[in-house]
Amino acid sequence: MSTKLIEAYLDGTITAPEMQQLNALLLADPNARREFAEELNVDSALAAMAAGWTKDEAPVVRQTKWRTSSPRWIAAAASVALLLGGWWWQDSQSAFATVEKAAGVVEMADGSSLRAESHEIKAGSVALITAHGARIVIEAPAEFRFESAQRLHMKRGRLAADVPPAAKGFTVITPTGDAVDLGTRFGVDVPSSGAAEVHVFQGEVIAKASGANAKQSLRTGDAVTFDQGANTVRELRSSAFIQADEMSELTAGLAAGQRARAESALAKLKNDPALITLLDFESTDELPGVYRRVQGRWPGSHAPEFVNVGDHLKLDVGGDHDWPKLTLAAWVRLDRLGAPYQSLLHTDGWDSSNPGQAHWMVTHHATMRLALRANTLVPGSGEQYEADSLTPVLPEQGRWVHLASVYDSQARTVRFYLNGRFDKEVRFEVAHPARLGPAQIGNWNRDDRKLSGRVDELLLLGRAMSDDEIRALHAAGNPYR
Amino acid sequence: MSPAETERHHRFLRSFTAHEPAIRAHVRRLVPARADADDVMQEISVVLWEKFDSFRDGADFKAWAFGVARFEVLAWLRDRGRDRLVLDEEVITKIAEETTADEPRLEQQREALEHCMKKVPGYQRELLMQAYQPESRIQEVAQGSGRTVAGFYQWLHRMRKLLLECIRRALTQEVAS
Repeated sequence: MSTKLIEAYLDGTITAPEMQQLNALLLADPNARREFAEELNVDSALAAMAAGWTKDEAPVVRQTKWRTSSPRWIAAAASVALLLGGWWWQDSQSAFATVEKAAGVVEMADGSSLRAESHEIKAGSVALITAHGARIVIEAPAEFRFESAQRLHMKRGRLAADVPPAAKGFTVITPTGDAVDLGTRFGVDVPSSGAAEVHVFQGEVIAKASGANAKQSLRTGDAVTFDQGANTVRELRSSAFIQADEMSELTAGLAAGQRARAESALAKLKNDPALITLLDFESTDELPGVYRRVQGRWPGSHAPEFVNVGDHLKLDVGGDHDWPKLTLAAWVRLDRLGAPYQSLLHTDGWDSSNPGQAHWMVTHHATMRLALRANTLVPGSGEQYEADSLTPVLPEQGRWVHLASVYDSQARTVRFYLNGRFDKEVRFEVAHPARLGPAQIGNWNRDDRKLSGRVDELLLLGRAMSDDEIRALHAAGNPYR
Repeated sequence: MSPAETERHHRFLRSFTAHEPAIRAHVRRLVPARADADDVMQEISVVLWEKFDSFRDGADFKAWAFGVARFEVLAWLRDRGRDRLVLDEEVITKIAEETTADEPRLEQQREALEHCMKKVPGYQRELLMQAYQPESRIQEVAQGSGRTVAGFYQWLHRMRKLLLECIRRALTQEVAS
């Protein structure tokens, strides 16, 4: 009897009459009170343990957010700290931050304490938690040091912060400006050369460029560049930053040996007789264009990143003959933009004398499009005027996604795939063999096609890959688990 | 701040952080949910600091804090617990008095949890820790484990029961040895 009542009370499903019974029972029976107190005592001990719990094995339950937080008393003590003015907290706590998770970072180990020393990480990403409970993910290459638990100097690198009320006022200091957080989620990018940027995902941040008198309040969705002593407004790069919830999946991917799997799959593709090109961006000869060379899907690997309008990468492949069948695939990490098109591959020779010239892009509906010059769709097939995928291919939050389009001019079809899964087939009435040649990734000369984000492992193959092959391509290259 | 005030802050913080888990456990035994305990703890930390002047050096900080905590729980119940199903004031007073006296044993029980958790198979331990994460959603954790919410609650009761049995056994053996 008493067990059932206590259970219902703990589950929050107890009814009013049952609550009356429980009260009466507890009032009358000292043994029931003792039983009750002991069960709740275990409950609070479990909660205390869970608050300091770190998941160190590969996740057993998929999709579980790996979340560790400082013991609750830190948050409680920090709320007292705010009350007292906060300054004494520093000398009562010697570590400014603790490493929660290091993914592919050789310079730091899980659980190590960070104080005022400088740190450099060359590859990977690291998740930290400050003494006030702010959660920070820093992506390599990066150089940084804590001045206190509330002040972090970023010389270069990329940082995403999730700041709870107890750490309100957390400040990131860059060579070109400061960002003061007012309890929110935000990102700071300090590129190896060029001005730092602040991006606010949620809440409010005060931004102040070095040397500027005025501070600027940034709200959800705002972003600025610290440009020569002033804040310049720019578009939000929603996917540029690795956040805490992505870290667990990346760590699990590494632990599961995904990197080796990806490399062996690449090696095999390079021997495919139909290969036109496979850009993994690892070669030291840089491809011509305007872009940043940043970290790819793996710790220390490389990928071009396109940030500003006009950023692009040039290539000239497959121009020697026509391609009756063509597979285009890439790993991308793109921002959701209002801009009409993001260019994945735009050939220069797009005009009426060149039927079959290929343009591959992401539309403003975030769907994938494969346009072939002078091709026409089957009338009444439901398409407006171009071959577009069905499902939006860009997630709300930053993530690597795998995009693929398989064109077959003989079957007169294009098939779209998102993360290895078939999405949609579009049928053409007139289908020319595909044509390539000089092309750009990230832009198109004739009309800006701004792409915002990173591209990794771009594949052009002169044959039609099957559903199974696309699925295997995604599975082998997937950085997540 | 004067050096004397600084010193006072340090003394408060040392005592508070040392006894925070015990104070929280005390509060938890008196309110319906863990989230309620979090709520009340916020208030308590503020009140303890405000009243720290009246705390005599050398006295028992934990006992003093338990007294403040009980008062704050009752105030919280009158304030926010009005339309919730909660323990009667009389029951709270009794449990608070008894568990304050019994705190050394209850503290041993909390400490013995770690020992007993080691006997729980890895997967179940992980599931327990997930369910007890701050801000965890039981519905999601239940789903992830392939149980219904009601079934998951049943499982949680069973686990707590097993753990409590293990804890009691461990403490009896400790006394015996």
